Amino acid sequence: MNPFSRFVKRLAILLGRTRFRSELDEEMAFHRAEAEKELLQNGMAPDTARSAAVRQLGNQALLRDQTHSIVGFSFETVLGDLRYAVRQLVQSPAFTIVMLLTLGLSIGANSAIFSVIDGVLLKTLPYPRADRLVRVFLSSASFPKFPLNPFDFRDFRARNRSFESMAIFTRGDVQLSRSGEPARLNGFGISSGYFHVLGLQPELGREFDQKAEVPGNGLQVILSDRTWRTRFNSDPAIVGRKITLNMQPFTIIGVMPAGTEHPGNEYHAVAYGESVDVWWPFSFAGDPNRRGSHYVEGIARLRDNVTVEQARAELNAIMTGLGREHPNNDAGWTVLVIPLYTEIVGGSRQMLLVLLGAVGTVLLIACANAANLLLARASARQRELAVRLAMGAPRVRVMRQLLTESLLLSFAGGALGLLLALGGVDLLVSLLPADFPRTHDIHVSEPVFAFTFLISILTGILFGLAPAWQAARTDPKEGLQKGGRTTTGASHQSRLRNTLVVSEVGLACVLLIGAGLMLRSLLNQLHLDPGFRQEHVLTASISLPHEQYKTNAAVGRFYQQLDANLGALPAVESAGAGSDLPWTGWDENAGGFNIEGKKPPPGNEYHARYHMATPGYFKALGVPLIGGRFFNDGDTETSRQIIIVNRAMADRYWPGENVIGKRMTFEDTPKEKDWMTVVGEVGDIKDQPNSPRAEPGFWWPESQASNSDMSVVLRSTSNPELLADALRNEVRRLNPELAVADVQVLDRIVSESVATPRLAFVLVGMFAGLAILLAAIGTYGVISYSVSRRTAEFGLRMALGAQQRDVLRLVLVQAIKLTLEGAALGIIVSLAAARVLKSLIFNVSPTDPATFLAVGLLVIAVALVACYIPARRATQTDPMNALRSE
Amino acid sequence: MAKKPDLLPGTLDMLILKTLTRSPLHGYGIALSIKRLSDDVLTVEEGSLYPALQRLLLQGWVKAEWKMTDTNRRARFYTLTALGRKQLGLEVSQFEQMIEAIGRVLSDAQEV
Repeated sequence: MNPFSRFVKRLAILLGRTRFRSELDEEMAFHRAEAEKELLQNGMAPDTARSAAVRQLGNQALLRDQTHSIVGFSFETVLGDLRYAVRQLVQSPAFTIVMLLTLGLSIGANSAIFSVIDGVLLKTLPYPRADRLVRVFLSSASFPKFPLNPFDFRDFRARNRSFESMAIFTRGDVQLSRSGEPARLNGFGISSGYFHVLGLQPELGREFDQKAEVPGNGLQVILSDRTWRTRFNSDPAIVGRKITLNMQPFTIIGVMPAGTEHPGNEYHAVAYGESVDVWWPFSFAGDPNRRGSHYVEGIARLRDNVTVEQARAELNAIMTGLGREHPNNDAGWTVLVIPLYTEIVGGSRQMLLVLLGAVGTVLLIACANAANLLLARASARQRELAVRLAMGAPRVRVMRQLLTESLLLSFAGGALGLLLALGGVDLLVSLLPADFPRTHDIHVSEPVFAFTFLISILTGILFGLAPAWQAARTDPKEGLQKGGRTTTGASHQSRLRNTLVVSEVGLACVLLIGAGLMLRSLLNQLHLDPGFRQEHVLTASISLPHEQYKTNAAVGRFYQQLDANLGALPAVESAGAGSDLPWTGWDENAGGFNIEGKKPPPGNEYHARYHMATPGYFKALGVPLIGGRFFNDGDTETSRQIIIVNRAMADRYWPGENVIGKRMTFEDTPKEKDWMTVVGEVGDIKDQPNSPRAEPGFWWPESQASNSDMSVVLRSTSNPELLADALRNEVRRLNPELAVADVQVLDRIVSESVATPRLAFVLVGMFAGLAILLAAIGTYGVISYSVSRRTAEFGLRMALGAQQRDVLRLVLVQAIKLTLEGAALGIIVSLAAARVLKSLIFNVSPTDPATFLAVGLLVIAVALVACYIPARRATQTDPMNALRSE
Repeated sequence: MAKKPDLLPGTLDMLILKTLTRSPLHGYGIALSIKRLSDDVLTVEEGSLYPALQRLLLQGWVKAEWKMTDTNRRARFYTLTALGRKQLGLEVSQFEQMIEAIGRVLSDAQEV
């Protein structure tokens, strides 16, 4: 008979289930009657004959079940198990709710973190064959990761054989005017073939060709999809149209499609993503033999079969050659070739993996906790299981029934978790730092569903195994006799449950220690003296188009005027402008200057960060003056050249000397007017709040070294946000075509800068909180079970004269013993795992004794709270009752 | 009570099919028939008989229909099908081969 007709038969039986059963019953009854008749004929008494016949037929329920399992579908028994499981769970709502909540929270947290990992680390980058893309940087002893010089790039491009194509790009925002409200657009200058390297093609028009790289040919622009839609109404015939950027007419030659992602950059960084508005052609202006300035970033596509290592070796060989050709500028550099994926997500990887580890630990604890609760329930259900076994249910069936219950719980928990993840992911994304890569790729998508499904199954099996195994060892006879009060399996079961609780407490300790370290690290960062005063400060950025402000004098006059006008506003305490704001990644370096009366050590030229500032800048930012004076209106283009240095620069180059009045110059054979005199020394501001130390730096007065892109700083006497409109008005009064961009309060910049440690602390802290709650539930469960088992013992002790506090001590000692074992385990694991956290915490040792001690005490306190109720119950044991009930 | 030998595993189906070669029988009749023909040596546990009958039905080796017995009671009678007869031949020949092989091993002269 073929499988198909077998299937049809089974189906027929399934559909006519009732008939099948009644026929089987009738057949059995007939069999019993015939057997009885025969026994009667053999001379047996009627009563004896009947019971003998029944006995001979055996366990009818089992027989029916076995017969049915042969003809039935396996899913029928599963359905039966499920129905039974639902009934069981509905009957004990408190147990079910605790289980569902703990599982739902743990699985949900895992799904949410996995969504982030999936979006950031697992999804491929949105470029064709993205694994072939690399970033190219230079490196030297002073500058481990540095942009390229354009002419070096041109030589790399011409000489290499490793890359299919190479391109450079550099940040250069542009000001759009005469198309609605003036606006600053995020812009990048790109060499020809930049989009070709990325594997992208314009939606409309074309990308820049090599002709556009020739200086003077550059008045072309490519728009992003967003700019095209929002500013130009999705005009399909836009290619060829002229628009005004930086007061000059640019021809639109292309529009990129939606989803064109900026690969991220280091120099004046713009985050990875659809963050760029326009691209303009980079042109190789200037003297190809002067290669000191580094401001373009390399990106390239490896040829097939060329490894990153091979490409790096080749570029280094080319660089060595360039070092011989241009010894002044190109010697001493090596080339870094970094896969684009690593460059984009490398910095976030460690933290995400730590978070995954933390949240996975929570799930493990939840499993241990669920197993624990199920074991407690299993001992309460001992009688039920014993009855089922005694009725002839095979052990495998009972185990399967229990596993069905566990899986039902874990799946319901998983579904709940998925709901939590759907809500939680948006919250999580909002907590991520602004520069976190690929946040827009984070969604609860198919891989997250699959992941949740998978961990639900694994969780269910993991926590269901212990009770199922326990059930398989149940002895029906003893189970029935003792009714589940004390069984031979009990001591074994207590051991298992104790082990589970010890591991719960241990793992919770690991998380608490992690959270504690992150909290200390965060506090350290928050309590650092930033070097400026962040309160009540509004900042914004302005850039002056070269077309309108052609001379240094014109730029200087504009900012001087703006300073004066802003300073005169009512709620403004002080106003100024500077080339940059603290902690925003400013990285402009000047090297090769000479200091009067000093010689640099060979091969180690003098270098420092350079900045520009107007007179009010330091006061508005709240940077302290250590010696000398700030800039003032008397410092003009024609007066003596001056600078202000920071303390790091004074300490580096004039150690132990009074720096005021010292001189330095960029000329090798300086005339008197080439010397720049130090007139002031100001406090240090580090690059980032957690940078190890401040870099040496100096400021030119804006009037002497004008910079057209400046950050405006306004210190208010009240809420700085109220000044935003006044600021826009003042700028408009000076020039109606200027855009005021990046208006924000300094507080926000500061809070952005600690966003990563804050996020790590909040998440790990939340996980640790959940973990310790689970561990407390586990401890409570075990202690309260043990108290109920020892009622008779306590009764006896009290009958023999023990006081309440003796009993209390017995219970507490047991709880503390478990907790201490757990804490010891947790501390050992934490010590072993300390290395992982090292890069994530600031100014705290990963084995910080204070944190370890605090966590130990916290865990003991929680354990004491958790066992308080059972311990009280123990002390209230009535000796008479306890003894009688045994 | 002396313990009776268990049925060799896998032989129950064969024995059921064999008892049905003479005439259709109900479940009790099959058990009785096996017991009698083996001179009370083989007893078929009811716990195995009915599941086995369902298995044979599913394979299509037997058919079942409700009929009246001589004593006028309703009972399910099982009849051997052509497919079942073929299966019986197959099982018997396999069984004989096995018995023969076991016999050869047991009658090894050296040992006894």
